[in-house]
Amino acid sequence: MAGLSKGSLAALVALVVGALCLLLETTMPWLVTFPETLVVPATEWVGAAMTWLLQLLKPIARAFSALMSYPMEATNLVLGSSPWILVIAVVTAIGWMLGGVSMALMAVVGLGFVLASGYWHESMNTLSLVAVSVPLALIVGGGIGVLANEYPRFRKPVQAMLDIMQTVPTFAYLTPLLVLFGFGPVVGLIASAIYAAPPMARNVLLGLERIEPEIKEAAIMAGGTRLQQLFQVEIPSAATQILVGVNQCLMAALSMVIIAAVIGGFDDIGWEVLLTMRKAQFGPALMAGLVIVVFAVIIDRMSGTLAQDNRKRYDARVAWGILAVGVVASAVTWNSLPNPSEYSAFDGAVNAVDAGLSAFTTANWQWLAAIKNNVLYFGLLPLRIGLDEAVLPFTWGFQWTTQWSMGLFAVGAVAGLVLALRGQVTWGIMTLIFVGMLETGITNLPWPFVLVGVASLGWVASGHGLAVLSVGLLLTILLSGLWDRAMLSLYLSGAAVFACAIAGGGIGLLCAVSPMAWRIIRPICDMLQTIPLFVFLIPVLMVFQIGEFSAFLAIIAYAIVPMIRYSRHGLTETPDEMIEAAIASGATTWQILRDVRAPYAAPTILLGLNQTILYAFAMLVIAALIGTTGLGQLIYLALGQADVGLGISAGAAMAILALIADRMVQGFAEERRKVLGL
Amino acid sequence: MNDKPQAAISCQNVWQVFGPNADSALSEALSVHSEPEAAAAALREKGLIPAVQDANFEVAEGELFVIMGLSGSGKSTLIRCISHLLHATHGEIRIDGENIVEATPDRLIELRRKKLGMVFQHFGLFPHMSVIDNVAYPLRVQGVKRKARLEKAQKVIELVGLTGRETHHPRELSGGQRQRVGIARSLVTDCSVWFLDEPFSALDPLIRRQLQDEFLQIQAELKTTIVFITHDINEALKLADRIAIMRDGKVVQIGTPSDIILNPVDDYVREFSKDVAKGRHAHVASVMEPGEGHVYGADDPGLRVDMTLDAALARCMDLYEPVPVRAEDGTLLGVVNPANLAAALHVEAG
Repeated sequence: MAGLSKGSLAALVALVVGALCLLLETTMPWLVTFPETLVVPATEWVGAAMTWLLQLLKPIARAFSALMSYPMEATNLVLGSSPWILVIAVVTAIGWMLGGVSMALMAVVGLGFVLASGYWHESMNTLSLVAVSVPLALIVGGGIGVLANEYPRFRKPVQAMLDIMQTVPTFAYLTPLLVLFGFGPVVGLIASAIYAAPPMARNVLLGLERIEPEIKEAAIMAGGTRLQQLFQVEIPSAATQILVGVNQCLMAALSMVIIAAVIGGFDDIGWEVLLTMRKAQFGPALMAGLVIVVFAVIIDRMSGTLAQDNRKRYDARVAWGILAVGVVASAVTWNSLPNPSEYSAFDGAVNAVDAGLSAFTTANWQWLAAIKNNVLYFGLLPLRIGLDEAVLPFTWGFQWTTQWSMGLFAVGAVAGLVLALRGQVTWGIMTLIFVGMLETGITNLPWPFVLVGVASLGWVASGHGLAVLSVGLLLTILLSGLWDRAMLSLYLSGAAVFACAIAGGGIGLLCAVSPMAWRIIRPICDMLQTIPLFVFLIPVLMVFQIGEFSAFLAIIAYAIVPMIRYSRHGLTETPDEMIEAAIASGATTWQILRDVRAPYAAPTILLGLNQTILYAFAMLVIAALIGTTGLGQLIYLALGQADVGLGISAGAAMAILALIADRMVQGFAEERRKVLGL
Repeated sequence: MNDKPQAAISCQNVWQVFGPNADSALSEALSVHSEPEAAAAALREKGLIPAVQDANFEVAEGELFVIMGLSGSGKSTLIRCISHLLHATHGEIRIDGENIVEATPDRLIELRRKKLGMVFQHFGLFPHMSVIDNVAYPLRVQGVKRKARLEKAQKVIELVGLTGRETHHPRELSGGQRQRVGIARSLVTDCSVWFLDEPFSALDPLIRRQLQDEFLQIQAELKTTIVFITHDINEALKLADRIAIMRDGKVVQIGTPSDIILNPVDDYVREFSKDVAKGRHAHVASVMEPGEGHVYGADDPGLRVDMTLDAALARCMDLYEPVPVRAEDGTLLGVVNPANLAAALHVEAG
């Protein structure tokens, strides 16, 4: 090997810087804690600038807000005062048109459950918010997608903007919107429209880009004007992809509407969950959470059928019939229908859940606490503050001493050397770096090491550009004094992503090998992806109370899905001929997996990891509601105090972390794809 | 084939049926119908696909056996049955006397490591490995040490003429070079039975011809038993010792190249040979009659039984004097020597 490979060179630089920092940390403490005198009051500056800007925009915003309140109140009135029989009939009729008997049944059963739960009124409020925000998001998102397709110059900036809009945590939107639009449901509406527009734009653009050139050329040769080409040929050809966008847009809007409940002021279902959670009434919280899940499933499955390539047509007369029955039944029972909020068929069940839960946690608190404490003391805490501080007599049973550190480094060095001698120089150096990180803990890492490490990773992943960009962005976090919080966020999401990668990768592998396992896991994955983020908090909170461990679990539950899906997909998509070639070479099943399937799946699995990272960051902010200490908490605090500067800065810091992680993993995936010639 | 050695490959009543519960459906169909056609029809009626129906043939050691047919005729399925990439639904497939349909998974791995080699239509190269690692992979799975396996791989790479490209990755190679890698990989274990599934179909005509020639050279050197799949009649005629022609899952005719051209069993086979320059592939033996009771002149152009018809025709034409060529009104324009006529027809006199 002539010289060092790019990877080992980068790793070596990071190792040297890290070692230097460790050696010098006692004489130069500023290496670990960034000197406070250098911190710029960026948060205040951002606050001042934003406040000025927002004041400027306020009149327009308020006017818009007033304008939007009309359609919202109108839908609210319609949905709220319609007899529930009619609403159910309409949804059932739509269900029939979209998916026949099964969809219609799902609508009846689902809405019946909502009705019986006693949350009908709140649900209709949520639904009316979605009903207004989605068309808004569809128009805005669709418009952006079409324009970006028409004017290729805008494509890159639009893509970048969409990326940023999706990485900025949901809560971070809310603070400036709160200042702009004032308290009230309109903020939730606007936030959800903003949050739901990017997936629509992305899919419209993707669909239009993917149309076969010959189809477009045929439209041109037929003599259509540009508008005719677009609306008569291109958009219909891209319909499937666009409808995927509609589906994603609906789900995003629903998710955001529910999250927006934290600002309150509207009697909707998200608020109900929050309220009951705060009062530690887990039975009702679970019930309200289930209502949300029911809505999510109905909306997702119904709009999902739209995007199916060759869906069946169902007889419209049946739908009219259902509607007619609904109208007649409503008319007959007009005055005799009780207020739907008075239904409480599940009160007994709810109380039973509450009581059962208390009984369960009291009976099993010992091993529940054992799980929690083991993970905390032996996993999360060392990762956070390092073995040197986490290993204490009362948790680990002994005191971490310098000898222990020496021993750890010696083991690391030997392992690294063995790897290096076997030709894996990069991994050898990486082992040493990991040992060092384990000793120090992520939140105590010297900032020069983090910067150099990130720069090296960026350089290896996709070159100088990414290295410079990452360091530049991280410096803004460092200078604005959000560093400690950012490291806390990094540590928790890092731990969760790591757990997801191991567990999700394993499950993905299992599903790739055994179709039986996939049949069981697939619906669970579908379900986990349909549930709005917020709902994940309920079960973990019920069992493990507020704290970092619950947040950790909630993040894993949400972020593990892409890892499972992509791992399985990657491992099963290897071309047949390649597998046959390996079989014909005499490889065993295990050898094929290791030598052919896994390397071929690497880019796909990396994309899964990328999704998992983004999901983890998204959930991290939501998890702030149940006790995390990182940037998420700051964003949440800022929301409570309507502190625009803090909210925006912390949100931006979060987005920066997500963006860097995203670019790096994408870079590695791209590199792998190139190696594979894909 | 006069004194036949033990067949290297023998297929008896091989069926491959796709669809739900293919096994039971086939045995039921076979118990009801004695004729394979009737059984196949019964299976089709149930919505199953009989991709290979009752294939019977033997391939002798060192023979180059070509299976030919249009796409969808079942030839790729058949070769996958023989190499056991697919488990044949019914029948017996013996390689050197061993029934591989009943072989255990371990035995199959063993066979593939020692005895069988395969080349794929789209090459089936591993994109993440360099040329030499691709070629050495069959040795790697056997646990051969790196140095030894690279040495062996190097030799095969030389054999296929890829020296100098060892460290390239498949994406950096042209189609012809990729297939050379595929061929090298299948040869690295010194296999005695070699399967090639349309190895040259994805290549340009010129490269294809070049690789065919090199393939024949390799075959002359190694003398392995070969099953070769193609849809190109000219390729089949050029390479084959014997050809099996498949249609809709059935083997409709098996024979030497001149058999196929001169005695097609049906219109389907005839259609194939229509575009073929018969004179280049058929030999004098195929049109020769018994010598007794014939009166022949003193002229002897020197024909031999193994001459192609083209060559024989040229020799015979040599006997004639030049003949006149006239314009439409009958004026003499020139003369043509019949020997030149024959020579012009077979451009590639070999």
